[in-house]
Amino acid sequence: MPGILSRRLLLAAAPSLALASVARAQSWPNGSIRLVVPFAPGGSTDIAARFLADGLSQRLGVTVVVENRAGAGATTGSQVVADAAPDGQTLVMSNIASHAISPTLYGNRVRYNPVSSFSHIAMVITNPSVWVVNKDSGINSLADLVRMAKGKQGGLDMASSGAGSSNHLLIVRFCQQNNIDFTHVPFRGAGPAMQAVIAGQVPMMSDSLPSAAAHIRQGSVRAIAMSSAERHPSFPEVPTFREAGFDLVSTSWFALSGPAGMPAAIVQRLNRETRDFVSTPAAQARFAELGGTAGDMTPEEFTAFVAAEVERWAPVVRASGATVN
Amino acid sequence: MRLNTKNLISGGIFILVAVIGLWLNTDHTLGSARRMGPGYMPMLSFGLLGVLGAIVFLGGLFNGPDPLARWTRLEVMAVPLGIVAFFAGYFIADATGLFTGWYPLGWGAFAGCLALSVAPGWRPIGLVHAGLAVFGLMLEQFGLIASITTMCIVAAFADPTHRVKGVIGMIIFLCVLCWLVFIYELDIRVPVWPVFLTQ
Amino acid sequence: MELLIQNLAHGFSVALSVENVLFAFIGCVIGTAIGVLPGIGPVATISLLLPITFGQPATTAIIMLAGIYYGSQYGGSTTAILLNLPGEVSSVVTTLEGYKMARRGRAGAALATAAIGSFFAGTVATIFVAASGPLLTSVALSFGPADYFSLMLLGLIISAVLAQGSVIKAIAMVVLGVSLGLVGTDVQTGQQRFTFGIPELSDGIGFVTIAMGMFGIAEIILNLERPESRNVLSGNVGSLWLTKEEWKRATPSVLRGTALGSVLGILPGGGAALSAFGSYMMERRLSKYKHEFGTGAIEGVAGPESANNAASQTSFIPLLTLGIPSNAVMALMVGALIIQGIQPGPRMVEAQPDLFWGLIASMWVGNLMLLVINLPLIGVWVKLLQVPYKYMYPAILTFCAIGVYSLNNNVFDVYQMLAFGIFGYLCSKLRMEPAPLLIGFVLGPMMEEHLRRAMLLSRGDAMVFLERPISATLLGIGFIALATMLLPGLRSKKDAALQE
Repeated sequence: MPGILSRRLLLAAAPSLALASVARAQSWPNGSIRLVVPFAPGGSTDIAARFLADGLSQRLGVTVVVENRAGAGATTGSQVVADAAPDGQTLVMSNIASHAISPTLYGNRVRYNPVSSFSHIAMVITNPSVWVVNKDSGINSLADLVRMAKGKQGGLDMASSGAGSSNHLLIVRFCQQNNIDFTHVPFRGAGPAMQAVIAGQVPMMSDSLPSAAAHIRQGSVRAIAMSSAERHPSFPEVPTFREAGFDLVSTSWFALSGPAGMPAAIVQRLNRETRDFVSTPAAQARFAELGGTAGDMTPEEFTAFVAAEVERWAPVVRASGATVN
Repeated sequence: MRLNTKNLISGGIFILVAVIGLWLNTDHTLGSARRMGPGYMPMLSFGLLGVLGAIVFLGGLFNGPDPLARWTRLEVMAVPLGIVAFFAGYFIADATGLFTGWYPLGWGAFAGCLALSVAPGWRPIGLVHAGLAVFGLMLEQFGLIASITTMCIVAAFADPTHRVKGVIGMIIFLCVLCWLVFIYELDIRVPVWPVFLTQ
Repeated sequence: MELLIQNLAHGFSVALSVENVLFAFIGCVIGTAIGVLPGIGPVATISLLLPITFGQPATTAIIMLAGIYYGSQYGGSTTAILLNLPGEVSSVVTTLEGYKMARRGRAGAALATAAIGSFFAGTVATIFVAASGPLLTSVALSFGPADYFSLMLLGLIISAVLAQGSVIKAIAMVVLGVSLGLVGTDVQTGQQRFTFGIPELSDGIGFVTIAMGMFGIAEIILNLERPESRNVLSGNVGSLWLTKEEWKRATPSVLRGTALGSVLGILPGGGAALSAFGSYMMERRLSKYKHEFGTGAIEGVAGPESANNAASQTSFIPLLTLGIPSNAVMALMVGALIIQGIQPGPRMVEAQPDLFWGLIASMWVGNLMLLVINLPLIGVWVKLLQVPYKYMYPAILTFCAIGVYSLNNNVFDVYQMLAFGIFGYLCSKLRMEPAPLLIGFVLGPMMEEHLRRAMLLSRGDAMVFLERPISATLLGIGFIALATMLLPGLRSKKDAALQE
């Protein structure tokens, strides 16, 4: 057992030896870097973070250790990083939940400001939402969905991976725009929700593309719309909301941020390494399988992006009726 | 009347929890049977708990006797003393302003458990928990080794047959074992040595 | 049938490659070790080890992770039997009879029963997965929210009915457990309930925190209070192997537990825990030695241990056939597969036959390894009981403290465990059983979720629970179980049986 477990150390040690000269040139990074994931292990944020940690470990020459700090709509872990020293040794896998939705959803329970309490470093991966329906539901398009929802008393049952998730809020926006009634059926995670759709207990679900991709490819559910601006290269047959005549674009994102006040040099270096890493063919291929797109933003662009996201989601969150108080 | 003291007390605990729960639950919207709000299930479960508590309590009036073990005078005194010490420890630690986060709670728990231990009969429960409280207080500042050592010393007083040599040997063994298992193998995120020495 | 044998043969050719056997072995050893350590569970370990698997072939990686999973299920029963520490939900039941057996000097027999029962159940369940996995998936799919709710309600009734002592108090403890499970964020609205503004409570109270406090820490104190009884163990360990009589009693229980566990394991959520509890109840009803239950009946170890191991094998069915994880460990497996570039789902059988059949074959190989690893170790574990208790308890305390801290790297969990230690001690003094509380705590949140979803989908019509045949049947069984226990005539029989 010791021999095997220390393989992990070896894995980390080999590149660090190779890159020792690079690391010595600056005082940062100084020992292993902590990458806080504000969700439980196994989810899409966790997968993205571990993938990034692996790549950054090799590029920076120090171990990037993933630490899961789940809770309170991803705000618990983000708070830890907001409070940490801005020395570049503690980073967070920021995402649409922790930095765009939860600050409004949780209101004054969140002590950090999603923009100013962080040094936003780089976008890692973005992916659209996809709406899937049960095979035998008789729904073939968004127009069918609207027609059916209007015909049904109490509205159509619509499932999502959880209240206050970006997928849920997409349903809220859609139904508001089209003046239709709906019954939101929240689940604990995408897996059980997908099961309910396959079994026909709920006719449709709004899901993130990475978790739905396999089921769409296998034909166990039917995809009727994608929330990206253009058709997704991996799923060219699925129309976008816009094409179907509904003005909705929504992408969820996973990114890298640190505490506010990090030295610009470190931010730049991390930004460069992250962008280099996610643009390698291997990473691109992996992202394509997942249905995601590698991010490519400067720290300034990304900071502006986060600010815009907070603005964009605040009214939707309030309208969704999802509250924590 | 054949009083069943144990059932009377447990029934009382159930009722107390149910009442507190239902009272706290007034903050939550009940919703309707179709669209249950966050308060619906708590209403059902705390309500049921209250009813069951009442049945246990009423039954306890007749289905005894099942008395508690007799307490000595010191043991009776130590319980309120422990509770007072808990709150004193908490508020004093909080008021000094030196401690933030969970430290005041830790000090409270430590003080309460120590105060409870003045009665020899309460030493197992008091000192084992005092050991845990010390562990919580020390871990993040003084590191794993110091915390284990202190916890074991405190907890060792819970068993009067412990001797100094045995305790030292046990602590060394435990420190080595924990370092191997938790630090070397599992690599959990915790300081091993005092933070002020390593930084 | 021929095809099945052909497929299994292919699976074994994959599973028996040197590398795969090696990693299955490593997985089993690590799994057993973390199962024995309180606090550190398979979820934490697998997430820690995930990066190692990036460099391995997918099949090897999954075989190792699977080994960790069922190894930990097995290891958890070791501490449950020896120290009354249930490391996993499914080993809560094992403490009921296993720990009593150990106190009676039959620790060796209890451990051997658990090992052999688990191996047998694992073997049967493996064949079951291979033969009927895809078919059974449709059964699992036909379970709607109303059916789940009724199943869990039945589970809770069972856990109360089979507890020792007063049924009413046991039901009250179940309900208290359900209430404790409500603490945290409400899934449907995201509202915080009963958290007192403490962010650490927003994800609820941890299972391990409660289990360690109410079983582990409280047990230390109770043992310290009665120095005479704890020393009995060091004097008289007894034979390590089962007697002829014990074999005869354990065999039917193993068979029944295996059957029940195999079926319940397919259901997502709580399968292993429910099947262990269900099996315990079944044994208690069917055993000729009812009077020994509560004092260390071997049936109470053999049945549940077989059931939970069978369930942990069959819980792979939804993952392998639908790509749907049935518990947290399976969710991590999905993550591991996705990182490897494999999408778990119905097409895995065709697209990845090596992985699919290799994993199934390796389940059996892994179970064999667990037996080989653990049977010789029984002597070592039992020796552990001969360590004077005054040296044992600081070690248990230390492992609990570090284990609980490492869940979230937060000392608040240590203080929570402290509070549950005091509460657990109080409970045992007042004859309030902690086991029903724990099972209520685990099943409560799921029950609420399914209740609310069922009512949402039925538009508020409670009749849905009686209209669906599965749900109605389950409720009927629950009602009968409750009625027989509360009816005066039968109740006195139970009391007599319990008082021995």
